[in-house]
Amino acid sequence: MPGYKLYYFNVRGRGELSRLILHCAGVPFEDFRFEGKDWPAIKPNMPFGQVPVLEIDGNKMLAQSHTVARYLARQHGLAGQNDWEQSQADMYVDCIYDMHGTMRTPTWETDPVKQKELFDKVNEETIQPHLEKVEQHIIKNGSGHLVGQGLTWADIAYYAFFTTPIMTRLGGEVFTKAPHLKKLIELVGSNPNIKKALSSCPAPNTKLINGHCSTE
Amino acid sequence: MVHYKLIYFNLRGRAELARLVLQHQEIVFEDFRFEREEWPKYKAGTPFGQVPVLEVDGEPLAQSNTIARYLARQHGLAGQNDWEQSQADMYVDCIHDLIGGTRPIIYETDKDKQKEMFQKFLQDVVNPHLQKVEQQLIKNGSGFLVGKSITWADLAYYSFFSPMMERLGEAILDITPHLKKLVAHVGNIPQIKKYVETRPKTAL
Repeated sequence: MPGYKLYYFNVRGRGELSRLILHCAGVPFEDFRFEGKDWPAIKPNMPFGQVPVLEIDGNKMLAQSHTVARYLARQHGLAGQNDWEQSQADMYVDCIYDMHGTMRTPTWETDPVKQKELFDKVNEETIQPHLEKVEQHIIKNGSGHLVGQGLTWADIAYYAFFTTPIMTRLGGEVFTKAPHLKKLIELVGSNPNIKKALSSCPAPNTKLINGHCSTE
Repeated sequence: MVHYKLIYFNLRGRAELARLVLQHQEIVFEDFRFEREEWPKYKAGTPFGQVPVLEVDGEPLAQSNTIARYLARQHGLAGQNDWEQSQADMYVDCIHDLIGGTRPIIYETDKDKQKEMFQKFLQDVVNPHLQKVEQQLIKNGSGFLVGKSITWADLAYYSFFSPMMERLGEAILDITPHLKKLVAHVGNIPQIKKYVETRPKTAL
């Protein structure tokens, strides 16, 4: 088993998908989290001055959150059963990435009234149309999963995004028109390894918020 | 022989990397382009209401990098093993971030503000990244970003930096002589050169 060290801030952010994949696959790893004040010392050692970074066996480094997550998913049986399924999974994860981007501006808005307006707008213009399409695809796929017959990192990515920030910010009603996706997210959430991941808090100065180790 | 139909606006935009992968490997494909006004006609038929979409024997695949990665993997441009494939993915994600960084600049209507934004972007984002890439290129030693031969990662850097050099001059890559050499190399590959000379001339 390779020695994995995942470098990221002590938040969920862009490190969480890789953490969940490793927990889900039951693969031990060093979940190296640091605070903002420690970042300047770590930054120059990172391949592109950014995190997350996956260090393998102490000598190879891989950067870019989705590349790291895809690599881990592929190495540990969570990527899909063939080239086509792997690409379908890639496609869904790219969709999550795009939606994350649209949530950024509302998240940073300090006026609570304006913030709610912005979140409602993102829900109406981006999240709901997307859910409508995904619901159709899940029904067509027939297994309850996004891709193929079993769990892939695409399901985990939807679980991570739709629990937080989506349900946290928009509430459970966001799934009114997407019962199959709602069921899938509940299924992923009930996975014993995922449950275990969410209840562990390895880093100092962290607290559990919505089940995640966070300083947010 | 599998039938590919690549569906996108009549722009380079987010389809160009997939087109370059196909052109480099000399794969015959249907390069289906439409004008902006026609988009409402096609939108509903796409998996997520967006393009590009690649139809593979009629089955749709969405998301620009997913499409380009699929084609690269099917046709020998993705890297020689899992590790190289991930290295290539990593570089393409870097380009994806740079493309994202240009969007607010492209949409800025005040020309002076736009120029200022772009200078800041070059200074704060692009140049630091270029310096890291130059180090990685030297360390890799083959002249290519990944492994010993060309991958879709090299095409992605060509696709992003070549139009920028055309607009701003080749000097923007002077701080990265190895990357500059790589971009020139890709541009001179006969099938790439021919494609670039004959492709529709579009603003983006």
